[in-house]
Amino acid sequence: MKIVIAGAGEVGSHLAKMLSDEEQDIIIMDTDEQKLAMLDSYNLMTYQGNGTSFRDLKNVRVGEADIFIAVTPHEARNLMACCMAKTLGARKTVARIDNAEYLQPQPQRYFAKTGVDELIYPEFLASEEIANALRRTWVRNWFEMFDGELIVIGVKLRSNSVLVGKRLRDVGETVSGALHVCAIKRNRETIIPRGDDHILENDIAYMATTRDHIDEVRQLCGKTNIDVNNVFIMGGSNMAEQLANHLGTKYKVKILESNLERCQELADRLPHCNIVKGDARDVDLLEEEGIADYEVFVALTESAEANILGCMMAKDMGVRKTVAEVENIQFISEAEALNIGSVINKKLLASSRIFQIMLDSDTSNAKCLALADAEVAELVVKAGSRVTRADVKDLTLSQDMTIAGVVRDGKGQLVRGNTRLQAGDHVVVFCLTGAIHKIEKLFN
Amino acid sequence: MSRKSTPVINFPMVFRVMGWLLLIEALFMLVPLGVSLLCREHDIALDFGVAMSITACAGTFMAYVIKPKNHNTSMRKREGLLLTAIIWVFFSAFGMLPFITSGTLTNVTDAFFETMAGFTTTGSTVIADVEALPRGLLFWRALMQWIGGMGIILFTLAVLPMLNYKGGIALFNAEVTGITHERMRPRVSQTAKDMWLIYVVLTAVLAVLLIVPMGWFDGVCHALTTMSTGGFTTHKDGLHYWHSYYIYVVVMVFMFLGGINFSLLFAASRGRFNRVRQSDTFKWYCAVAFIVSLVIIGRMFYMNYCDNDADRVTYAIFDTLSTITSTGFGSVHYEWGSEFVAMILLIMMFFGGMAGSTSGGAKIDRMIVLLKQTANEFYRVLHPNAVTTVRIDSRALPHVYVARVIAFLAIYFVVIFAVALMLSMMGLPMFDSIFTSMSTISNVGLGYGVTADLGSLALLPAPAKWLLAIEMLVGRLELFTVLILFTRTFWVKD
Repeated sequence: MKIVIAGAGEVGSHLAKMLSDEEQDIIIMDTDEQKLAMLDSYNLMTYQGNGTSFRDLKNVRVGEADIFIAVTPHEARNLMACCMAKTLGARKTVARIDNAEYLQPQPQRYFAKTGVDELIYPEFLASEEIANALRRTWVRNWFEMFDGELIVIGVKLRSNSVLVGKRLRDVGETVSGALHVCAIKRNRETIIPRGDDHILENDIAYMATTRDHIDEVRQLCGKTNIDVNNVFIMGGSNMAEQLANHLGTKYKVKILESNLERCQELADRLPHCNIVKGDARDVDLLEEEGIADYEVFVALTESAEANILGCMMAKDMGVRKTVAEVENIQFISEAEALNIGSVINKKLLASSRIFQIMLDSDTSNAKCLALADAEVAELVVKAGSRVTRADVKDLTLSQDMTIAGVVRDGKGQLVRGNTRLQAGDHVVVFCLTGAIHKIEKLFN
Repeated sequence: MSRKSTPVINFPMVFRVMGWLLLIEALFMLVPLGVSLLCREHDIALDFGVAMSITACAGTFMAYVIKPKNHNTSMRKREGLLLTAIIWVFFSAFGMLPFITSGTLTNVTDAFFETMAGFTTTGSTVIADVEALPRGLLFWRALMQWIGGMGIILFTLAVLPMLNYKGGIALFNAEVTGITHERMRPRVSQTAKDMWLIYVVLTAVLAVLLIVPMGWFDGVCHALTTMSTGGFTTHKDGLHYWHSYYIYVVVMVFMFLGGINFSLLFAASRGRFNRVRQSDTFKWYCAVAFIVSLVIIGRMFYMNYCDNDADRVTYAIFDTLSTITSTGFGSVHYEWGSEFVAMILLIMMFFGGMAGSTSGGAKIDRMIVLLKQTANEFYRVLHPNAVTTVRIDSRALPHVYVARVIAFLAIYFVVIFAVALMLSMMGLPMFDSIFTSMSTISNVGLGYGVTADLGSLALLPAPAKWLLAIEMLVGRLELFTVLILFTRTFWVKD
């Protein structure tokens, strides 16, 4: 698939690298040669030019592109570039925006008419993700597929879980079909386990389950759910504002921000929140602000280091659940090892949206969610595809993917060895990074 | 948590890829084997069979017996550079086997030199009487030049899917010539395929044009060595054996094409002539070729070389193109009286063709940068605060690249004179040694004085041959890829 990306900033570069690893044809354009030079050692083509120039768009032959993605820092330019690319014949256009208003159905329809097919607002995706995490504090990741018919969760297993120490094969008997372990993250490495692998303490297990079994799964994992009423946010970034809006008046929210002007701005815009000026790494200040009364601590400053540190201090002071924004992808596994509850990364969220769009233009109704080194994809089985020809246990799937669950006739169920997939089934596939292009071959 | 220490260079992976490449070389050997059978040279066919099996065995051993530890298949810059440099040596080491098994060349030095001159498209030879060679060997010499012309790695990138990832980029950058390494398509394998497609098509057209007057064997051989700007020939007198203006003109046209950047040819083949028209480098290339031809034509008439006017004009243009594109088909021996023409040709060798073509030399692109930068420096003497840029194809070249070009040219000269110095130490006259060194690093293959005659290089002492063989490779891979292997920083962890 030919993909043109305008803007080699953080999100653009990350997308380019990742999609290039997925064996897509990538052309990335930016006006800044230095940024492009950073991408020189990747298997893609760089072009120095402007996404809002017809000449440059023609030079990269955007007319042959399957997807055009505009992710420069300027919202208006992104929208403009998408309109131009669409006029020149790009099949699908995606623009990154900074304004939640555009995500309403009516503006979306308007933009679709002018040539912008999809809008991505990473900060909004992130705030949604965090709000989700607050509802279920015992999991690290929570992916709902097909309106909640199937759920994939990531849970860190401690010694109090009955699953720890068991072979995967024996887990099946213990849990009597309540869950299916798709992947295990152990020591910064995600593995797709086979029957003989053991589950160990401190593993993060990614499990598929259905709605009816979710409480059972929580008990098996040895977790209790915390009722969240109070949220403490460190850093008054754009994302924090989105989150505060998202949470509404249901929660008591306190935002700590070090810049006075920004504090004033936030106080004007968010009447239902408490705004405090100060640095969240100041222990006295935290105690003064009653940190111990808060159930959740969310660190959303620009610095990943500060966020991780802040979360660790909050944990020490008795906060039950912490969420940190970590923009450096390399830091994510560090953060997870340090017992930061959930890690938020704008780039991963944005790229999971793009993956979804990418799969969408090939298969219908696909959905994709990204982890640091794995993806969860949701697809529809087509008639005559390879997966329908044998039982799941006899499908020679490659080592880097597993089928997590299936929704048939609107009812979610887990996959067993003797399940045979049928055309029209909705399937959830868990695969390691770099394997998503293989899925298409299997399901089409 | 145990810390994994990564080695500086992932040798097992380098060897494994090298194994695959050797298997490809073994496949290439099938072609001259077939030619031998076709020409009823059964002895030489057997020799090729032996050489092929040795190469295939070595390749299989390296590709499948050596296992990368912990499935560490990463290829980074270091592995890319090392692999690219070493594979040319390995290709030559196995490519020389047919010469040895057939007994044509009895010592390793000569055989290695000849093979390296083949793969690097230098075209210097230690074989005086090429007509006495079996046809299979002649064909192998031509085929080696053809493979080396576009690049061993580039061919592999086009056909081996496992190199179509990040590691492949390092290889691509290490082998393709030029200041920047332009990619025509998003994925490196597509770029490689496009370049090879143009190369194959042009060679095929040339072969058809040459088969008519030359017969199939000579036609194909010359097509292979012309398109790759290599310069091996199948007759003692080279193209003069036929002395046909038709052949001269056809070969000239395709030598000229071989000196053009392949991404320009690609654009032209897609009907985008704008790019060709806007290319400064292309204009310079044409201008230099035109002016030098005029000067040599003038000199020819002034000194009354050759018997008739047609010959003078043809030879002058032919020699100009043959030198500037680094093909090195010899025509006239200039030591008969015109050191002036030899001097011009010496400078032309230095210029070379366009970057990203099959030609050698320092490349016209770099000369443009050098001259424009020099002009800027002069301007800055009068306007010390002026901010200047070097523009190529109406785009400003970043200063890092300008600095790199200047460094490149400086090192180029250092290598030329270092080798010339050693050659003179071994007894060559001064101008001959400079000419030979320049001709070798630029992959031209012409000689002067004692090295002028076909095969006269055989008389050089063995150390000189090894030296020149290395110089060819240094020139073909544009200095840095080979020379960096001799630096300490390459081998220690940073």
